[in-house]
Amino acid sequence: MNSNVASVKLVLLGEAAVGKSSIVVRFVSNDFSENKEPTIGAAFLTQRVNIDDHTIKFEIWDTAGQERFASLAPMYYRNAQAALIVYDVTKPQSFIKARHWVKELHEQASGDIVIALAGNKVDLIEENGENERKVATEEGQKLADEENLLFFETSAKTGYNVNEIFLAVGDKIPLKRPNDNANENGSGNNQNSSRVQLTDANANAANAGNCSC
Amino acid sequence: MSFLGSLRQKATFIDKIAESFLPSLTRDEKFKLEYRLPDEELIVDDINADLSFVGAHSKLREIQNHRTKEQNVGAYVFSGRLYLTKHFLVFRDAFDKKSCVLLLNLSTIKRVERTPSEANNFSLTLTLYTGSEVLIQLMGLKYKSEQFSAQLKLHLKENIENARKLPQFLNTCYSEFILNKNIMHKTDLIPPKSGLGQQFKYPGNPSMEKEKLKLRLWFDYFKENGENMGIVKNHIFHKLVRVGLPNRIRGEIWELCSGAMYLRYANAGEYQQILEENQGKTSQATDEIEKDLKRSLPEYKAYQTSEGLNRLRNVLTVYSWKNPDVGYCQAMNIVVAGLLIYMTEEQAFWCLYNLCDVYVPGYYSKTMYGTLLDQKVFEYFVEDKIPVLWEHIQKQDIQLSIVSLPWFLSLFFTSMPLEFSFRIMDIFFLNGSRTLFQVSLAILKVNGDALLASEEDGTFIAVLKNYFQTLGDSAYPDSDDPKLRSITKFQQLLVTAFKEFNVITSQIISQQRHKFEKEITLNIETFVKKTQIRQMPKTFYLHSTDLSNIYDIYYQSIETYNISLGKGSSSMNYDVFVQFLGKFCDWCKPCEADNDSRFVEQKNEFLKKLFNYWDTNDSGELTLNNVVAGLDKLKTDDLLIMINNFFNLYDKDGDGELHREEVLALSEGLLFLTEPWRSGRYVDVLTKTAIENEIADRIVEQKAQEEDGDDTIELPNDVEVNEEKYKNEQSERYLKAASNFLQRSIEYARSVDLPSDFNLIELSDDETGGSSESTDAIKKKNLNTLKANAALDPTHPKRLDMATFRMIILADETYELFFSETWRCSTHVNKLIDTDNTRGKALRGMFDGFMADGRKVAKQVRIRVDSVATTRSRGDSILSTDTNATSNTPMAKSLSSSTKEDKFEDIDDFTSEQQEERDDLLGNSWVEMDIDDTMIEPERKQVLSRPPMSNSISKDLIEFEA
Repeated sequence: MNSNVASVKLVLLGEAAVGKSSIVVRFVSNDFSENKEPTIGAAFLTQRVNIDDHTIKFEIWDTAGQERFASLAPMYYRNAQAALIVYDVTKPQSFIKARHWVKELHEQASGDIVIALAGNKVDLIEENGENERKVATEEGQKLADEENLLFFETSAKTGYNVNEIFLAVGDKIPLKRPNDNANENGSGNNQNSSRVQLTDANANAANAGNCSC
Repeated sequence: MSFLGSLRQKATFIDKIAESFLPSLTRDEKFKLEYRLPDEELIVDDINADLSFVGAHSKLREIQNHRTKEQNVGAYVFSGRLYLTKHFLVFRDAFDKKSCVLLLNLSTIKRVERTPSEANNFSLTLTLYTGSEVLIQLMGLKYKSEQFSAQLKLHLKENIENARKLPQFLNTCYSEFILNKNIMHKTDLIPPKSGLGQQFKYPGNPSMEKEKLKLRLWFDYFKENGENMGIVKNHIFHKLVRVGLPNRIRGEIWELCSGAMYLRYANAGEYQQILEENQGKTSQATDEIEKDLKRSLPEYKAYQTSEGLNRLRNVLTVYSWKNPDVGYCQAMNIVVAGLLIYMTEEQAFWCLYNLCDVYVPGYYSKTMYGTLLDQKVFEYFVEDKIPVLWEHIQKQDIQLSIVSLPWFLSLFFTSMPLEFSFRIMDIFFLNGSRTLFQVSLAILKVNGDALLASEEDGTFIAVLKNYFQTLGDSAYPDSDDPKLRSITKFQQLLVTAFKEFNVITSQIISQQRHKFEKEITLNIETFVKKTQIRQMPKTFYLHSTDLSNIYDIYYQSIETYNISLGKGSSSMNYDVFVQFLGKFCDWCKPCEADNDSRFVEQKNEFLKKLFNYWDTNDSGELTLNNVVAGLDKLKTDDLLIMINNFFNLYDKDGDGELHREEVLALSEGLLFLTEPWRSGRYVDVLTKTAIENEIADRIVEQKAQEEDGDDTIELPNDVEVNEEKYKNEQSERYLKAASNFLQRSIEYARSVDLPSDFNLIELSDDETGGSSESTDAIKKKNLNTLKANAALDPTHPKRLDMATFRMIILADETYELFFSETWRCSTHVNKLIDTDNTRGKALRGMFDGFMADGRKVAKQVRIRVDSVATTRSRGDSILSTDTNATSNTPMAKSLSSSTKEDKFEDIDDFTSEQQEERDDLLGNSWVEMDIDDTMIEPERKQVLSRPPMSNSISKDLIEFEA
């Protein structure tokens, strides 16, 4: 195994049809298709990027966006080091959903998770004018500032800011030494090896206790 | 040893079935499930019988026609059981189900004749509309046979109306078309409307010769065994399905196997009706459907046209209206897109209906519990049948569901090339959901070696992806045997699935589902709760445990809603709302006064106002979030806000003033709210303090009588408190407050006609001022009764503004206390509901919920003792004891059983008897009731939470609900 390669598990979350899969496809294969089949459950893709003198291998878990699939999400964001929460700048509801995801991750995911917020589909605004925009850049920025998130407005269609957002995530991830890395891929790590089902999330919640107010 | 070798060794042990018991289905349920009959088809009668089917155009009939009238020549005779339901005659061979299952809709029967035969035989000949004959010999006692045939006759009669639909229905069946075309040699026949494939070609590149051959085989089958609504399914039927259905008839056979055909016949026109009724209507489901239309098998040509998209939209939306509990789930779009290639909209709709109901129950529900459950069951099978691979998956921490979940949820449509997934569908509709498990297991097994070599999710997924893309390739490309070389990977997969994993039966699946059901349900409930609590509005006075309790009480109140199944409405109507509040609000608990019509009127008047006030979106129903926001307001510790909120309830037009009628309504509301205290069921702080003072006085008195040398202070064990006296005092106080309130509010209301009749400016300005001042002022004004009487005169309209209202409330100690504390503290949002607290109630004394605070009493004693200035006073001994709970005991006892004699005991004496008393006390549910009480200081709470009894249970509950 290449000792300069660090694996980063990244999960994509967000409302249905905001362009999660499209962002991944743009990032992984620099491609775009207008009508993609919805993700059923989750999809998994990988992509390597070079940052400075090291390589990061993104292991991307792309999740289904429809509300009822939310109960599956904990299976996918467990142990994630990074999350990309996507909303559609032309759909205010998707921004509300993004807020919920931020909240859920802060409560349930690992404490040092790096979260990035992507306001996708800005190409629609360029195409059809500012009227199309339903979520102001400032609103996104404000949420990002409050919750300590990276923030970009993106377009999977044009590729605008797609690489940038992944690179920014890569930059912010605390790098592990190659040794730790080997450990991560193996099964030695006690904390990570147990399969987290929904039940484990409960245990976390019990610890979280009073912080939901 | 090879992977497969080691597998074979491990996989051959027998299932341990005995340990789990089956979910109990009734005979009727089993029967309907087995033959995929609609819900209404209950067994009317059943009997043993011998049966032969002679197809109208069968070879046998041809032979017969050339002979004389002799019947029964050479026909197969099956022995089995015959069932009659409302619309069906079902026969199944007793020995081998696959050798003969007859499914006959009564509408297909043209004539029934009783065949003359030997004395004891009871024979019937049914002639079908096609000319086919079913010969039945009923076996059994004569009266049973008579009874059965009488029932048959009756049901045939009742079915006459229904049978009229048959000819039209048959026009939609492809089987009728090919029979007519090839037997009658009609050349001008138009094939019935079918799926999109008719127009846009079928996926894959089926060779015409092969299709024709397959169709021919079905044609022959129909001739011998009947078709669509009256068909015998034998082993050839199963075989023909297994080799893959010809595209043109695929839709009909799917429909037939799934039982959707029977639904379509029974509910003719319903699809069209729902479609038309809901034209133009939108819902969350239709919005979601719209988003996904173009994302459903987008490579298939038809779904790039409006024709294809329209059909897809229609079927999905009609289903979402038909079954709003499911609505629309992603993956349904793909499944329906698949169905519509072979089926008309109506066919696809009923097929989807049965699919969601019978084949993959709960998969697409709002919580997707079926999906989660079957993933769990699948994991169990992998562990059980392919343990080596399971070990590997565990060790490498590979998320199996990321590959398997889409297989189950979209029935392989998104995983493998369509032509292969349709082949799997053929078998799936015939054999049910076990097919999904069998094929999924086979996929893992066939790829076992490669999967064992992959160390992470990425390669695991890549192996399978590659496999699916090459399903059409040879499974043994390197073999010398050309026959072996010609076997495709897909064929190999089917063989593995249906031979090797034949052990996965429907029965075993239901057992396993049953086993994991509870776990999944619990997980979902926990998850849903966490999510909902997270998405609640921001609250200021309710804390996380309160929210958790409110959530529980809320859903306990809405009985029709099933959280884990995601079924039913999750909103609350007014009646449920009243019950809901009654569960944890002292002021809304069912009580004796509920028999009093005036009280009930007051209650409904107030609660309806509250309900509407909380219903911020005017929907006529409250959501959980409405309720949380409303309760948060009720729990505010800001006296003025509390008063304002109450005022606003009655200020309909929001102009900050109440009219005379509104003032009267408001005072009625107050009467309702304060009833529990007025009637003495609960005590407020004023009464409580008075009781404590009395006890303290007595201790001091007692002490004074004792010897000088004694330097401990004893709390009385049993104090006789004159309950009646305190109850009356409190009642009087509340009555007085109520009458004062009414009087004052009329007196101080601003007169609309006579604005400066008398001076009240100084009063209304003095909102927050000391109550002594205002009471003085009020007393003065009280003298002016003449003016007050004038105010009651309706010809002089008056208005009460918020400031005045506040002043009036603040002027009365009881009402002020009510708004600052009594009301808020009697809304027990932090109380877990104890469903079994009726026993505890019976034990309670009249002053329900009262608990004297030992510390307070001790403090009072101390003050008194100090003020007496006895230098020997060493009251510390009381304060230093950490036995507050113990010191409570006598108090509580005295209140619940006033007949006991006074008796004094050393509080340091922890006798076992006292311990029992304490446990008794803490085990009693009314202890829980008061934990909330702010009058209780934190130290007490600690003591209360320490004993193991009821508190440990509630603690567990909290963890489980967090």
